[in-house]
Order: sequence, then C-alpha cells, then structure tokens
Amino acid sequence: MKLQVIRQRNVWWAISSALILAGIVAMFISWKQIGAPLRPGLDFVGGTRLQFELDCSKADNCQKPIDIAAVRSVMDAEGLGSSNIQAITDRSGKQVGITIRTAPLNGEQRNQLQSALSEKLGTFDPSKTQIDTVGPVIGQQLFSAGLLALIVAFVGIAIYLSLRFQLDYAIFAIVALFHDILITVGIFAILGLLFNVEVDSLFIVALLTIVGFSVNDTVVIYDRIRETIALNPERHIDDIVDAAVNSTLARSINTTLTTLLTLFSIFLFGGETLKIFALALIIGFTMGAYSSIFIASTLLALWRERTGQVYGPAPAAPATDGVSSKEV
Amino acid sequence: MGRQRYLLLLIAALVIGAIVVILNVPTQLGLDLRGGSQLTIQVKPTEEIKEIKPSDLDAVRRVIEGRVNGLGVSEPLVLTAGKDQIIVQLPGVNDPIQAERVLGGTAQLDFRKQKPGTEAQLGIERQQLREKLTLQRELRKSNDQAAIAKNQAELKAVNDSISALFEKTELSGKMLKDAYPSATNVQNTWDVGLQFDQRGGELFAELTKSIAGTGRTLGIFLDGAPISENFAYSVDVKYAQTGITGGNAVIEGNFDLETARDLAIQLKGGALPLPVEVVENRTVGATLGKDSIQRSIYAAIGGLVLVLIFMVAYYRLPGLIADIALVIYAILTLAAFNLLGVTLTLPGIAGFILSIGMAVDANVLIFERTREELQSGKSLYRSVESGFYRAFSSILDSNVTTLIACAALFWLGAGLVKGFALTLALGVLVSMFTAITCSRTLLLYTLSFPGLRKPQYFCPNLEPVKAEA
Repeated sequence: MKLQVIRQRNVWWAISSALILAGIVAMFISWKQIGAPLRPGLDFVGGTRLQFELDCSKADNCQKPIDIAAVRSVMDAEGLGSSNIQAITDRSGKQVGITIRTAPLNGEQRNQLQSALSEKLGTFDPSKTQIDTVGPVIGQQLFSAGLLALIVAFVGIAIYLSLRFQLDYAIFAIVALFHDILITVGIFAILGLLFNVEVDSLFIVALLTIVGFSVNDTVVIYDRIRETIALNPERHIDDIVDAAVNSTLARSINTTLTTLLTLFSIFLFGGETLKIFALALIIGFTMGAYSSIFIASTLLALWRERTGQVYGPAPAAPATDGVSSKEV
Repeated sequence: MGRQRYLLLLIAALVIGAIVVILNVPTQLGLDLRGGSQLTIQVKPTEEIKEIKPSDLDAVRRVIEGRVNGLGVSEPLVLTAGKDQIIVQLPGVNDPIQAERVLGGTAQLDFRKQKPGTEAQLGIERQQLREKLTLQRELRKSNDQAAIAKNQAELKAVNDSISALFEKTELSGKMLKDAYPSATNVQNTWDVGLQFDQRGGELFAELTKSIAGTGRTLGIFLDGAPISENFAYSVDVKYAQTGITGGNAVIEGNFDLETARDLAIQLKGGALPLPVEVVENRTVGATLGKDSIQRSIYAAIGGLVLVLIFMVAYYRLPGLIADIALVIYAILTLAAFNLLGVTLTLPGIAGFILSIGMAVDANVLIFERTREELQSGKSLYRSVESGFYRAFSSILDSNVTTLIACAALFWLGAGLVKGFALTLALGVLVSMFTAITCSRTLLLYTLSFPGLRKPQYFCPNLEPVKAEA
C-alpha cells in the first residue's frame, strides 16, 4: 500500500473540515438547546446522583419491575419533580434498581428521599448504593482545572517540540492536536444531542490523553521527515513527506491498532463509568493517527513550499551534524 | 555475549523481585474500588477571618480528624486540598449521611447564665420555642417547603430573643475533656454526659454556685442557639455554697441514641474555628466496588491477550519477544504501584490498561525499523542493532510528550484524575525500560542461537535485496 498524501491532500482537508464543521454545528445547536456546547455531567454542573439497587437476598423484594411512575410521584412529593430517573437492569435484563439525578441534596434530604423510595420499591442493598454529590463550586473547579491542564499540556508540548524540532513543526503538530480535540468534542456534542451522552471530568482526562497520544504519532512522522531531509537535502519536501508517511505507515497502523484493542477491551468489559471514557479515547486516538498522517504532514509540506523551504539546508551544512547529535 | 547474560540476570532478578513485591505488598485500592465515602469539605471565611491561612486550614483539619476518629471508621484519611478544602476518605463507611452531619456541623458549645429579672420573659419564650420545634417536626413530614422556611425564620427569631436573656460565660466547649451518650431511665431517650477539664470544672462550679437557688437558669447553647427544648437548667439551692463540683454535667435533651452520639462526637471533636460545608460526597457501596475490580480485571486481561496475539501474528519472533517484554512490563508496573503506594482507582486501572496498548509502541517502532534495514540488505544482527539505535529518538520524543500531558494532569487535576495521570506516567517510564532494555537484551540473546538466526523469522516475505526508495 502506498499513500500519496500530498497529491490527495485536498480530499483529506475536505474530510477534516466537514467533520469539524459538523461538530461545530452540533455544538451550536446544543448551545441553543441546553446552554452548553456539550451536555455537561454531574461533575461540572453539580448535583446529586443516587443509585439504589434492591436487596435481592430478601424474599419477594426483586420480583416486580421498577415502577418508574411510582418513583416519579415520590420525587414530585419531595419537590424534585424535574429529576432524571432511570431503571438499572442487571445482565439478565431484569430491573434491579434506579439511578436518579437531582439538584444537590444534603444528607438529610437524601435520607428522606431514600426512605420514601424504599417504602415504594422495597429494601435497598446498602453495599450496592452509590451516591455522588457535587456542589456547584466543585463542579466549576473541576472544569476550570481541567481546562487549565489542557492549556498547560498544549504549551508544554509546543515548547518541547520547538526545542527538539523547529517552530514550524511544533505549530503544525499543535494544529493537528486542535483538529483531533475539535473532532472528538464535536462528535460528543452530536452524541449529546442524539443519545444524551454527558461529559464529566474523565472526558477532560480523555482529551489530555488524546493530546499525548496524537502528538506522539505526529512526532514519529516528523522524526522521519527530519531524518530524511538531513540525509537527502536535495529532495523535494513533498516527496520527503510522502516517503516519511509511507515508511512509518505500518507503525502508525499497528500502534493505533494495539491501543484500540485495549480500548475496546475497556469499552466492552470495563463497566459503565469507563465506557464513555473509552469511547472518547477510541475516537480521539483514531483521529490522532489520521491527523498525523493526513493533516500535520501535509500542512508542513504546504508551509515549506509557501515559504520557499522546499529543499533542505544546502550541503554546506553537513548532514551528519544535525542528525547524529540529535538522534542519540 | 557476557554483557547480555549479565543483563538477562538483572532482568530476571527484577522480575522475581517484582513478583515478591506483588505477593507481599498489598495493592492500595481507591474508595471507588473497595467501597466507602469521600467527602470534600469547604472551609469558609468569616467576618473576622477573611482569608484562610494554611494555619487556619490545619486547625480545621485537626478538629475534623478528631471527629472522624469519633466515627469509629478503620483507616480514615483526612487531607487538606488546595487553599481551603479538606478531603476526608472513609473506607467501608455505610452511613455517609451520619458522616456528613457529624463532619459538617459547627458544634460550638457554650454555657450561659440567665440575666436577672428575665424569669417571666424566659417562660414565654420557652413555650414559643417548644411550639415552633414541634411544628417544625410536623412540617418536615409534610414537606411543605414554604411553610418550613417560614417556621424556620420564626424559630430563629425566638432563638435570638432567648439568647438575649442570657449572658455569656467563660465556660465553653473548648474545656470539655469528654462527651458521651448516657442512657436515661426512660426507654429510648438519651442524655449527653459531659466531663470538663480542671479549668472547666472550676468555672462550672462557679457558674452553678452563682445561680443556685436564685430561680435563674444555666443555659446550654450550640452554635449560638438553645441546644434543644430542654436547654435551661436551674440549680438546686443546696449547691449555693460550693456549686456543682467534680467537673461533670449532663445535657438532658430527650435525645435518641443517634442524635446523642452525633452531638457527643461533635462536642468531643471540639469547635471548628471556621464554618465548613460538605460540598462533595462520593460514596460507593462495597459490592459495587468489588464488581468494578472484577470488570477491570477482565478488561485488563482481555486487552493484554489481544495485544499479545497481535504482536506474534504480525512480528513473528520479535513479536514473541515483545510479548515477553510486555508481560515483564505488566509485572514491573504492578510492583511499582504497590511499592510506591499508588492508590489504584478505576481511571487508574484504565490508565494501566491503556499503557499496555501503548507500551508496545516502542517495540513496533523498533521492529519496523529492523525490517526496513533487513529489506535494504543489511545483516540480521546489524539490522536489529540499528533498529534499536535509530528508533530511539522517536521513542524518546513521543514518550516525553505523553509525560508532559501526564504532568499537566497530575498538577492541575484533582482526585481520580491524579490517579490516572500517575499510573499512565509510571507505565510510560517502565515501558521505556522494558521495550528498550528487555526486548533488546532478549533479542540479542536469541540471536546467539544459530537456529533462530533466520531473517524470515523477523520479516516474512523478505524480498532479496531492495534498493531503498
């Protein structure tokens, strides 16, 4: 297989632009509907999520399905009518409990709600109870700390790359990063609109991991471009980029594949909490490999063409210099 | 080959050491895996203390620690976080509501003396207080929020006018040595017994002496409000000479056991120097935690097996060696977690599983390079050597960028996020070692066996010599 990324670059740019545009449109619609570009989870807006499972060791406790209407009436009576209620099903498809998302509740309010629900539904098993209460202040903190971490990571990576490579390499690597993040966020905006998928602080973690991985991929191709330029300064940049992409292609595919294998494993077996996290990583890592091959490298070639650096530095600067010292 | 053998021994020793560590040092599991409550307590500034200094935060932490100990949870953890927060971890706690109530309450106890000439007034106010409190209990059942709020406001007004009838004394909760629930003669009602330290005992005697037989009362206030319906006590005239000595007192509040115990814990824990609020509570039941561990183990094994199969299928002999290196990687990383006391959380496990997938990246880079060298006609040994040599720069750069992202997460992230960053970063570091040193040593050792020195084991369908494009 031989890719001609330079010749086909308009195609890849069109695909990327379309994906990014779709995401931005979804974020815009989302903004109009719920006041945020993505559907924010408990972590960011604050609130209480309660998960109760029935104690099935007690006789006749788990026989009937969960009566959502009864739960709803309890919630209304407690003045929590706007809460989100869902039944939990176990692996055999039987309904064994409920999750409820409400405004932040303090201990007393929670206690009262729990006993009211227990009265209607049956005895809950305390060892299967999950409670998450996040105050609005904490939510804000988690969000801004996450955002700050993202910016710091960007700056750190940009500085490292401009030291190890050159400024233009660093800039296009960052452009590719933005591309990956934007598409991942965009897809989650779409998922939020279609399937009510929410993002929490693990989503920010996923974005940062994507940043680390995506740039990792770009660096390998850049490394090859730099090496080839140093060895063959007389070759055209387009040619070099094509060759570098192709000679690292098997590696790009295989690395992404092994990582995706583990991610699918987390997605399938890892449980509810990690599902969305794994999904974000699957999207982001795929985009990361894609953008390294089709975006970061083609943009670098275009830039070098436009700025008259089509060929490497004249042979006067001995190739061995730049390479061996950097390579070891 | 002497060097290779030496390195092999070193690796073997490391692996054996790691297995010993894994078997002997228990893995620290986060609360999301073993069940328990994590509370984040926000410390709030007051009129007097507008800015919370580290010493203030530490003072609050010590009080909270005292209260946590009163809860009787095993292995609790109380940490300060940021400038004004305290994180409390309570493993295995099954009543997060009690924990929240006890830890978040302010509980400033003080003893006051009724002002002369207020007897009639106090009688009226006490009647008012009783009515409001009874009404409040009924309203709570009906859940009429507006009525509750209205009654609450009226209650506060009564409390304020009662407070005005008393004057503060020096005796306060700070002078308590012990507080405990004590049973009364009536079934299911409890008092809270108090024992003062020496100074407190003296003050208490003085206080009781001054009102003994006067008909005026001694009032007990919690956070500036009467402690319950029964908050004011008259002292019998027989104590007029000496006061009540011995430093013991009883708060008769007709409490139920739970309330009496909570109050005792709060009092014993001392008064908080600043008001606090529980702003985050994450509680996971023990069974749910066990379930998460189970699922994580499935996910980890599933991911590992898939990667192992892929590597052998694609890279043949080197793939097998990469697999050995990967298993060594998994063992060393787990041992490092145990040894460094990394608390494994759910995202942390995800970070570990993910690092399995990423750990082979270095080997993939190296083997691809080796193949290229082989295709360009170099000898097997030299191809392997230069594969390692030439891939190193890419491996270093790509891992450093991942570490930068981890560092950002670790410094700025909170709680669970930190766990993920730490496990991923440790994984990256260990993988650099195993992918480069372990697989290199093993590979070169393998090459010392003539039977294995066949290029097609390294690169299937190797074309005879191909000029580089």
